[in-house]
Amino acid sequence: MIRYIVRRLLWVLVTLLLITFLTYLIFFVMPPVHPEVIFAGKQPTPELVAEVRRQFGLDKPVVIQYALFVKRIFLGDEYGWPGLGFSFNTRSALKPIIYERFLITLQLALGAAVLWLVVGVPIGILSALRPRSILDRLAMGFALFGVSTPVFFLGPVMLYVFWFKLGWLPGSGFYSIAKYGVGTWFVHMIMPWSVLALAFAAFYARMTRGNLIEVMGEDYIRTARAKGLPERTVVAKHGLRASLTPVVTMLGLDLGGLLGGALITETVFNLQGLGNYAVQSVFSGDLYAILDVTIIAAFAVTLANLIVDIVYAFLDPRVRYT
Amino acid sequence: MGQVRDEEIGEPVAALGAAEPTSTIIGRTPWQIFWMRFRKDRVAVGAGVFLIALALLAITAPLIAHDLVHHDPNALFRDTLDEIGLPTVGPSAEFWFGVDTSGRDVFVRTIYGARTSLLVALLSTGFAVVLGILLGSLAGYLGGWVDTVVSRAIDLTLSLPVLLFSIGIAATCSITAEGCLGGLIQPGISLVTAIIALFTWPYIGRIVRGQVLTIRNKEFIEAARAMGAGTGRILLRDVLPNLAAPIIVYGTLIIPSNILFEAALSFLGVGIPPTTPSWGRMISDAARGQLYTVAWWMLFFPGMALVLTTLAFNLVGDGLRDALDPRTQVSG
Amino acid sequence: MKRYVVLVGLLASLALVATACGGGGGPTETGPTGATGGIPTGGILREETTDFGFTNAFDPTGEYLGTAWAIYGNFLLRGLVSYPWLPGEKGGNEPVPDLATDLGEVSADGLTITFTLKDGVMWQPPLNRPVTSQDVAFAFQRINTKSLIAQYGNYYCGTIVGMDCEGKSQEDPIEGIETPDDKTIIFHLERPTGDFLYRLAQPAAAPIPPEVAGCFDKAGEYGRYVMSNGPYMLLGSDELDISSCDTLEPIKGYDPDKFMYVVRNPNYDQATDENRKNYIDGWSYVINTNLDDIYNRVLNGEIDLAHGAPPAAILQQYLTNPDLQDNLKTNSGDRTWYLTMNLIVPPFDDIHVRKAANFVVDKAAMLQATGGPTTGEIATTIEPPTVLPDLADYDPYPSPNHAGDVEAAKAEMAQSKYDKNGDGVCDDPVCDNVLMINRNYEPWTEYTPILTENFKQIGINLKVRELDVSTAYTTIQTMSNLIPIAANAGWGKDYASPFGFDYFLFSTAGLSCEGAVNYSNIGLDEELAKECGDEVYEAWKAATDNGRNPLPNVDADMEACVAKPFGPEYNACWADLDRKIMEEIVPWVPYRWGSQNTVLADTVVAWEYDQSAGWTAYSRTAVNNGLTMDEVAQV
Repeated sequence: MIRYIVRRLLWVLVTLLLITFLTYLIFFVMPPVHPEVIFAGKQPTPELVAEVRRQFGLDKPVVIQYALFVKRIFLGDEYGWPGLGFSFNTRSALKPIIYERFLITLQLALGAAVLWLVVGVPIGILSALRPRSILDRLAMGFALFGVSTPVFFLGPVMLYVFWFKLGWLPGSGFYSIAKYGVGTWFVHMIMPWSVLALAFAAFYARMTRGNLIEVMGEDYIRTARAKGLPERTVVAKHGLRASLTPVVTMLGLDLGGLLGGALITETVFNLQGLGNYAVQSVFSGDLYAILDVTIIAAFAVTLANLIVDIVYAFLDPRVRYT
Repeated sequence: MGQVRDEEIGEPVAALGAAEPTSTIIGRTPWQIFWMRFRKDRVAVGAGVFLIALALLAITAPLIAHDLVHHDPNALFRDTLDEIGLPTVGPSAEFWFGVDTSGRDVFVRTIYGARTSLLVALLSTGFAVVLGILLGSLAGYLGGWVDTVVSRAIDLTLSLPVLLFSIGIAATCSITAEGCLGGLIQPGISLVTAIIALFTWPYIGRIVRGQVLTIRNKEFIEAARAMGAGTGRILLRDVLPNLAAPIIVYGTLIIPSNILFEAALSFLGVGIPPTTPSWGRMISDAARGQLYTVAWWMLFFPGMALVLTTLAFNLVGDGLRDALDPRTQVSG
Repeated sequence: MKRYVVLVGLLASLALVATACGGGGGPTETGPTGATGGIPTGGILREETTDFGFTNAFDPTGEYLGTAWAIYGNFLLRGLVSYPWLPGEKGGNEPVPDLATDLGEVSADGLTITFTLKDGVMWQPPLNRPVTSQDVAFAFQRINTKSLIAQYGNYYCGTIVGMDCEGKSQEDPIEGIETPDDKTIIFHLERPTGDFLYRLAQPAAAPIPPEVAGCFDKAGEYGRYVMSNGPYMLLGSDELDISSCDTLEPIKGYDPDKFMYVVRNPNYDQATDENRKNYIDGWSYVINTNLDDIYNRVLNGEIDLAHGAPPAAILQQYLTNPDLQDNLKTNSGDRTWYLTMNLIVPPFDDIHVRKAANFVVDKAAMLQATGGPTTGEIATTIEPPTVLPDLADYDPYPSPNHAGDVEAAKAEMAQSKYDKNGDGVCDDPVCDNVLMINRNYEPWTEYTPILTENFKQIGINLKVRELDVSTAYTTIQTMSNLIPIAANAGWGKDYASPFGFDYFLFSTAGLSCEGAVNYSNIGLDEELAKECGDEVYEAWKAATDNGRNPLPNVDADMEACVAKPFGPEYNACWADLDRKIMEEIVPWVPYRWGSQNTVLADTVVAWEYDQSAGWTAYSRTAVNNGLTMDEVAQV
């Protein structure tokens, strides 16, 4: 077991290194934007560009740059630990910016996760208990609609209906609790949460339904029923426990995936989260910012994978470690 | 490693079953059984009919535009705009879906958008399937270091921030006329197709690998091996035919997610050339500057086209899976 | 919102400036609520933007964003001379004494200029000392320091004795700048320079305290520590620990990703300043990435002001609602938006194709797509009439209602080598997939369909790439990309001068392999073409018939105009040169002279436009919202 975890941890490390190196290759070696030329200004003579390149540390060979980057991540830089570098555009440390944006992404992701669990799982359960009923068909229709409707369409449609036409909800933008209070924060988050959660809720409903139907056909459920347990108890105690394990697994992975930024939701609703920041950075050539967001996203995903696998190993003794 | 999905571009619904390989389907008269079962699924058949109609519409779009509506997709009817460039003509007899901020016919652009969407989604899915089959079956059949490399590549690709990387690659390849990789990848449809295929092949690759692993040691394969058949021959003649069913199902289910992927890239303004009609781009045009408050039709029609198409592919994919996989009969 | 003042000018004419700037709707001294007389003081002016967009991280030595100039000039930096913070027709482009007692004493040979500093101009806390002539000299030492990447080195290096912009350290004194005492500064020039006052009025030339700025020797770093000698200062900047370089912490009132707050500078003495009125108690400038939300907030009075034209859906409200019409201000932006064509890339290596392009573009549609008349006027030549009035009625490629003249375009195309059958439609393969660079946001994205359709009429099929603004610029600046045509470019003044508009755009001084701003490659010669790589050299050889037919060159014409004395003759010379460029070289299709739009909430009771920066004159703007910085700032 310990050996397994150590091996997996090593793999997490290797994955992170590979991902950041790929990021380096894409954004530093063949950058879509040359930040040094932009920063050199209106008359970017070769001498000026070279000077900026030196100040940005872009004059060294790529492998060295990459090694320095890794070193800074582990050992910290002039702005503290972990060394996330500085923004080319503002010449200021990235760490506080990334931290703040991560918090916004976290609020979006956690809120949406609560919502999709609260909506998706019960729908899945109800559907599974009455397969082929009207309710089931409606629920599965909703689920298919959910996975087929992209955020970038649903978002503007919701804004049009609930903000512009009905005036029930405020428009886009992030309004922090600290600055505007819980109420304002909450009403502004309702639409982003809902829009982001829809596809997940649909997916979770389908998954819960499928799992539960399968579990309810197992022998031990029949045994439980044969013992004369009430149906409620059978479902709640035996059926749900087994069928929700994969849901928990999935939740970990999905949250991990979202923590690197829910890029389109953040763009549609103008939330200053990590995803939004990463897109801006790609377009403006703020290379360290891209790298930082990538590393956070990759770290969240690989870590979530690791945790899920380990949890799974505890939950399911059939999984073997080799 | 579990299934990793990317938030908003939609994930293959196939992901549900993808984590653990499902059992192989070896029917007695498989295609007949499949067809009988599929035909009974009226929703799936309806969705299939819709898709065929859509494909026809896409193919005949130039004819419809030119001979029926008499508006070309890039023709500018600037007298339909007011002084500050806002569209004044909504859905009407002349412009069925209204006009956009350039005075272009939204109906014509919507049916042309179907061409872009279907083309990119089908091509990229095709490439992803080919790549997935190739790498997945090699990994599953050969095992050893090949399996390690391919499996790790799959894990790695699935851990990447897909949209971010896609934007980066698309932006990199779009600056000059030559594109990137020495002109191999041209900006435009081929670039978008390549990017989407690059990030979707692991879904197929993983399923194929799992399937190959389970049938690798079956008697008929060992028999073929004993008779001296080479690796390539065994894979082509004996292994692949047994994978047809799951590949068709998951391939079909990846198409809608690839449609959304293309639309997402267009929405973010990378990939498809600006004058090529694309639903994602049309939605993004309507969303910026709150234009939908003035011209709701710019948002509604391409958006609904996108949702309905994605939905139809998902329904057909579900139907195919139900029809091909005997297990799902229980759950309906 | 994001606005790049792109480039450089030299040699301006005072007479020209005083009469030139009448474009756009006339702003008034009174605001939307019509308060007259007793303008209230106090309150906080609240402004939001999607992005600060500073080009050199707000370090005055290298910063060239118009917004930053308005912030420096109105709030933070008092140079020897500056502007009166007024629109053009009220003399807003004319330098006036600020830190200096007068406009300087020029020696008979024009080579020495002496300024005396006013008494009573102090640095903000914690510096708490008078501004000295050494502080001014230090600003020039910074400009001269290579690692600080000053953007205006060309105004001073080669002009002031001993400045070459190659300096190793900002501590190194400059030979041609003398500071005999704390109140006197003497500039020694290489040659008489008629517009030297304009150059001194640039923010980079305003004094900088060595105690703080001396700690920062890399480009942009000082931007988070800017010290004020003006009426306001950055919030929290008075808490700076200046005991050593190590104890300096970034000023808390300026976060490059979120906000900038300025408050009154306690050491400022209004008696020393005739031009800044300083009604407001502070200014809050906050990033809100939601453009629509910004304008909604102005409409709701949640903030007081926003710059730039609102999105069309909101602009419509301002134009149609009589209560709002006065809240939208339109002023001349002194800038030209144009398509640039590359003289060494087919099909634009043929002058007839370039002329055909000028005829075929539907400029009226482009103005409409931009948002109509409030966003500017249709451009017919290189320089806006606000900069060069001689060309006010000049239109070498006329068309009915400026909507394009396809027949005239075809007539030109028929004469080109790319139309073999002479039907006015290009029939050569070079006209297929002609790459055009554009910006990836509106209104530029709206130009894509228009231009694609326009050019199709003469057989040119454009393949458009839409890129981020900075990327678009760097893409067309890199000569080896050989971009045939681009729609992303615009050109604004540093100060009103025809020379500023033309010099780098069309002379060989604007050519280099990586950073050419002479995007059309006018005057590109064999030597530089070779240096910029094989592709460029091959293109150059093809376009010049192996050098037998060299590219046009206007360097000599420019030198001739520079040598003219200021006044009508000077202007006429530049006007003639513009005509020559428009008719004999044809590198551009100018399509719009842009205006600057500002939207105000009803809380703004006095407002003025500052022509010099093309921005709100904050020092002449007043609000009645009664807010204090404590209520507004979220640090």
